[in-house]
Amino acid sequence: MPSSSLIDYAAPRSALSFEEQDFIDRLIAKHQGKPGMLLSLLEEIQERQSAKYLPMEYLEYLAGRTGIPGSQIYSVATFYALFNLKPQGEHTVCICRGTACHTRGSRDLLERMKLQLGLVSAEDEGGADKLSMTTPDRKFTLRTVACFGQCALAPVVEVDHAILGHVNERALEREVEALKKGGA
Amino acid sequence: MPSKISIRIDGELINAQSGASLLDAALAAGKFIPSLCHMKGLSSVGACRLCVVEVAGVGRLLPACTTPVQDGMNVTTQNDKLRRYRRTILELLFAERNHVCAVCVSNNHCELQALATRLGVTSVRFPYTFPRVAVDLSHRKFAQDQNRCILCTRCVRVCAEVEGAHVWNVVSRGVGSRLVCELNRNWGDSRNCTSCGKCVQSCPTGALAEKGFAVEEMTKRPEPISRLANLRGVHS
Amino acid sequence: MTKITDLSTFNAVREAGMAKLLPPNPRIAVGMGTCGSGNGAEAVYHAFADAIGQRGLSITLARTGCFGFCAAEPLVNVWIPGKPLVILQRVQPNDVGFILDELSAGRVPAGLALCRVDEWDHITGHVKYGTGLQEIPLWNEVPFFKGQKKIVLRNCGLIDPTDIEEHLAVGGYQALYKVLIDSNPVSIVESIKLAKLRGRGGAGFQTGSKWEYLQRAKTGQKYLICNADEGDPGAYMNRNEIESDPHSLIEGMIIGGFVTGATEGIIYVRAEYPLAVHRLQAAIQQAEEYGLLGDNILGRGFKFHLQMVEGAGAFVCGEETALIRSLEGKAGRPTPRPPYPAESGLFGKPTNINNVETWYNVAPIVVKGPAWFAETGSPKSPGTKVFSLVGKVLNTGLVEMPLGTPLKTFVYDVGGGTTNGRAVKAVQTGGPSGGCIPQEMFDTPVDYESLAQLGSIMGSGGMVVMDEDNCMVDVARYFIEFTHSESCGKCIPCRVGLDKSLYYLNRITKGKGTEADLATLDDLSRMIRDTSLCGLGQTAPNPVLTTMRHFRHEFEDHIRASRCRAGVCEDLALSPCENSCPLHMNIPRFLQLLKEDRLEDAFVSVVMDNPLPASTGRVCQHPCDDRCRRSGIDSSVNMREVHRYIADSIYNSPRFPDVVARVATLRMAPTGKRCAVVGAGPTGLACAFYLRMLGHDVMVYDSNPNAGGMLRYALPDYRLPKEVLDREVELIRLMGVEFTFNAAVPAVISLNDLDQRYDAVFLAIGTWKESWVYLPGTELTGVIPALPFLEAVSKREKVPLGKRVIVIGGGNAAIDSARTALRLGSDVTILYRRERKDMPAIPEETEAAEAEGAKLAFLATPHRILGGADGRVSAIEAVRTTLGEYDASGRRRPIPTDEIVRYNCDTVILAVGESVDIDFAKASGLKIKENGLIEVDRFTLETSRPKFYAGGDLITGASNVSNAMGYGKKAARNIDKRLTGVKRWRELIPAFTYNMAVPAHPSDAARHHVGELDAEERARTFSEATVGLTTVEAMEEACRCLRCDVRNGDH
Repeated sequence: MPSSSLIDYAAPRSALSFEEQDFIDRLIAKHQGKPGMLLSLLEEIQERQSAKYLPMEYLEYLAGRTGIPGSQIYSVATFYALFNLKPQGEHTVCICRGTACHTRGSRDLLERMKLQLGLVSAEDEGGADKLSMTTPDRKFTLRTVACFGQCALAPVVEVDHAILGHVNERALEREVEALKKGGA
Repeated sequence: MPSKISIRIDGELINAQSGASLLDAALAAGKFIPSLCHMKGLSSVGACRLCVVEVAGVGRLLPACTTPVQDGMNVTTQNDKLRRYRRTILELLFAERNHVCAVCVSNNHCELQALATRLGVTSVRFPYTFPRVAVDLSHRKFAQDQNRCILCTRCVRVCAEVEGAHVWNVVSRGVGSRLVCELNRNWGDSRNCTSCGKCVQSCPTGALAEKGFAVEEMTKRPEPISRLANLRGVHS
Repeated sequence: MTKITDLSTFNAVREAGMAKLLPPNPRIAVGMGTCGSGNGAEAVYHAFADAIGQRGLSITLARTGCFGFCAAEPLVNVWIPGKPLVILQRVQPNDVGFILDELSAGRVPAGLALCRVDEWDHITGHVKYGTGLQEIPLWNEVPFFKGQKKIVLRNCGLIDPTDIEEHLAVGGYQALYKVLIDSNPVSIVESIKLAKLRGRGGAGFQTGSKWEYLQRAKTGQKYLICNADEGDPGAYMNRNEIESDPHSLIEGMIIGGFVTGATEGIIYVRAEYPLAVHRLQAAIQQAEEYGLLGDNILGRGFKFHLQMVEGAGAFVCGEETALIRSLEGKAGRPTPRPPYPAESGLFGKPTNINNVETWYNVAPIVVKGPAWFAETGSPKSPGTKVFSLVGKVLNTGLVEMPLGTPLKTFVYDVGGGTTNGRAVKAVQTGGPSGGCIPQEMFDTPVDYESLAQLGSIMGSGGMVVMDEDNCMVDVARYFIEFTHSESCGKCIPCRVGLDKSLYYLNRITKGKGTEADLATLDDLSRMIRDTSLCGLGQTAPNPVLTTMRHFRHEFEDHIRASRCRAGVCEDLALSPCENSCPLHMNIPRFLQLLKEDRLEDAFVSVVMDNPLPASTGRVCQHPCDDRCRRSGIDSSVNMREVHRYIADSIYNSPRFPDVVARVATLRMAPTGKRCAVVGAGPTGLACAFYLRMLGHDVMVYDSNPNAGGMLRYALPDYRLPKEVLDREVELIRLMGVEFTFNAAVPAVISLNDLDQRYDAVFLAIGTWKESWVYLPGTELTGVIPALPFLEAVSKREKVPLGKRVIVIGGGNAAIDSARTALRLGSDVTILYRRERKDMPAIPEETEAAEAEGAKLAFLATPHRILGGADGRVSAIEAVRTTLGEYDASGRRRPIPTDEIVRYNCDTVILAVGESVDIDFAKASGLKIKENGLIEVDRFTLETSRPKFYAGGDLITGASNVSNAMGYGKKAARNIDKRLTGVKRWRELIPAFTYNMAVPAHPSDAARHHVGELDAEERARTFSEATVGLTTVEAMEEACRCLRCDVRNGDH
């Protein structure tokens, strides 16, 4: 349940346009008091952004409007793999790292993609398998997912929300090349 | 009216308030069970796992801080396995961050250090992680040094449960977990912090400290906070 | 749309649904779960829609869920009134025209059919499709479905999941209706308890007891939660259940609500399952519209609201307290129990959480009763469980089996074994919380208790099959990497403990681990298991503990020998080919040297890796071929033939003496140590060569008059000309290795003599004893064992061979005997008791034998040999066999039938395998194993007697040349280490400088095969049957290599 905070945010000075403020207000009204409210709010806010992320201004506004402490919102936004705090690339390549995919060589696909997109693994970010990396030109984001539940098609890669099954390095390379050219 | 019940701890029969936790009952009876995340007056989270004990008839180890006493319980708080596990947990804590006692304001007044001494941790088997973590000196009175943080979340709880300011929380997950101030703000820029210092006094290590102290000079006084919390009836 | 308020409106909707399911015209339903769509079902659906529209056909087109056989997707159901429902498999858009033609003509396209369904038991309802079409197998006659019992999946793949009316037609919401009419919540809880329904999320807690707690909680607000945050990698049954039959979940929850007094239900679904989210949302809305959900359910005044929440990607939210925290708008960090959710759950209110599949079992129990439910499964775990059978198995898909079914039924019968004929190594159950169960334990019944005994768990039902190509250390590492990144970070054992576990596992997979690491890992794992806060941490060490328990030798291989047999741990292998080579030849190096036109360098590289390159270049089993990554593009590089080419080129060149001189310069300074090698076969020769190169004095003893062992006396000339072998032995002799022939050990020279005269002794006498099959008639004249036969021929001795020869066996010796007999002018038939693909012989050899005129008879087990009055063989009788269950080798066991086949013949050659001469082993006084093989340390090859080493077939049983030589090489390395006290091996192999870049444009050429003489011509002669690669061909093969040995950063 929303907890009260000491400082009243009822009339926050927000960096958001009135239109966006209105959007969030409606969203809050829709989910108010329901279980899973904060998750749903964040999911819908992220979905609204073209770069599929949670801009800080939105979180500030959300905290003010709902009375949910900022620290709690930030904790939630960083805990779940689905939420991004940074803008995502135009195209998303998401490689499944489920067991079936792993036993059928998904790590090689991941390494291949890193090479092809020129992404260098950030060593300090815990396990290298939990990853979301975006190219500097914001054209591509490479991510991994724990499992798509498409294990019979292993290894599975999702390119811009289309599932590709039984992928090999060559097929994936061609797919990404096509996207590179298509958008150029 | 809470009734009295009796339980057996390490063979000794003691009286306890029904509804109390095993840890509280043991402490009240003068028994020592190590713990780091527990603080009187705050809710128990069972995070550090140092207080795990064996209860006869239960197949797994139970954390004393969140297990309520039951009449006739037979509890073992000390044996080889428990001692080994507790030492391993402390070793893991030392390996996780950069605990350099010699330069710490809380040296010789640190609960982690004291517990390690008491449990006989003389060396760490595991490789040190040496993570790069933040030091935040932006607050006018206090300093935050995550090199020394053990993520016990006492500060998070005291701020939320006693002060009601909800300044602190834990972000990210796994070994990447870090203490965070509000929406990832510098402590000095916090909007909710009342600078009451309860988090600092609750912190078992030198991770949160008052400014202006040199090595070994910082001593913490969590007891008044516990008393305050009890008066307010936040948590038993 | 009708709001259902009483029985008549209920029945009206049912009838409307049935009319859709069984219309007066043919119906087509395309399986469109996510996996169907991933296989192209969308395109198939649209092709049907377009074609039906264009042709104006009276055919109903619908979507359905998934019938479970993922490997055969896309599945399409077709039905013609009066006939059975037929499920078509692997339907492609271009099949659509044909299917419609057939249906229009009143026929079913039988060629595409997977199976038929005459009638279907929806448990809560029943549908009769029709009869006929006997030529198509019934669904449960198909191996994949045999033994399956669909209770949970009762409606999946048969009805349209987006249409509530079809769901009602097959008996949906019947149970709810009954519960509301009877209005006796206590008896329902009693039924669930009596049925002993256990939670299908993995922990297996009694569902009835959980419901009872909630029922008894005296408070206003209570919550019911469905845990659909299916996060186990490798498990996807919940996705399919929701996608294919969302209403059964909703019905189960409404019943749960009524029984426990909860009025709010929440389904927590993974956001990674967009189709499931979508279908569930639509189904909830439909149920509300029909009055089955909401304020006045079925007009009975009962109120229940259902809401869906999308989880945002956190595996730990599968843990119930974490899931509740997540719903409360917090990070999904578990909280300690007590308090249990039944007392204080969501927002502090009493709450019950059940897994998706548990809810699916509710309606069947309500309708059919607990006794019916308990009929299926095992006494402690009644009912069925849906498993996702994936990984290295032929038939992947969702399998619903009674609990207690043995594991091997899943792997071999339902799964059909592996895709590529490799042996299954293990099955991983329970995802990251489970463990790996080795192939030897596949008799284990799959239920909660049995799996727990093996250190695994049932979990949500993921079953990932692993074969020889999977490294178990890597599997353990993979799971720890997973749980490590999914750990919430709250408690120290899980947060830091898993991080350190991962550190050790990474170290081991990189070949840098120590034995002490294993002990630490074991300690750490137990501590994490015993002290962690929640289920994630408590079970996270299971993959490590089970792999260390059941596959310890793999961990030891990594640590002690820096070896990953599966070839998965990249840091331990130069390249896949090198890793698979028993001699660990640096194959990319000699290919590159050849490419750079440095033939002599290439030869030195080859010979220092393998002292018999021309012989092995002809007869090696070439495991490298199976691993070559080039085969992903076209076919593997012909590596064996390239080193044959390199060796032959130098042996036949006038530069041979110079090259020998160059190799001799690589010899290390004399050590003064004396070594004896017993046996001049490939194992002994390899060991002798390396010991000599390391600077020791080496004497080789052999009972034969010449060197080469099996290469000389068992391999026929047409495979390996003696001149080639002579050249190789000459090179070894030129290095300074000495030989004493006609000196049998221990008959002529005793082990004590050797002990006194030498600093180290290597025993490699091989397996010279032909195994004998005990069947009637083996005493007849004309029955001969293969080895003495081949030996006699190779010694140019006269062999009494008849006109019609039967060879029994399927190994290389059988094929060699057959081809030799052909060359001696006989008519030859090979009898083998299994199938062709099970033959251990090199496939090319079998093909060559066939081309030369040998006949092959499979599935024939010799029964008895018949003789004439003269005591000579006249015929052999064999029993026809069929294939039965899978045995421990992962091959199907031949089962004898009544049919007996007689082959007239005058000679029978027995080639059923060789074994160690037990007498030698016994006489040696060395410790031997039960099967007569000499016992050695796996890593050092030391025997029980100091100074004595053994290798090759003597310790493994009959194997092949390259494997045997690998032991010789390994023995030399260990003997040298013992004699000198230092590791000098690396210094022996010369350094070459060559291009270390991945070729930008590897040759596009197809694989070059060796030339073969015309079959008829070669069958008349013993001269070599194949012609090696030409210079151009060898070069081109080298240019086809992709250079897997080049790592990032090497260039």
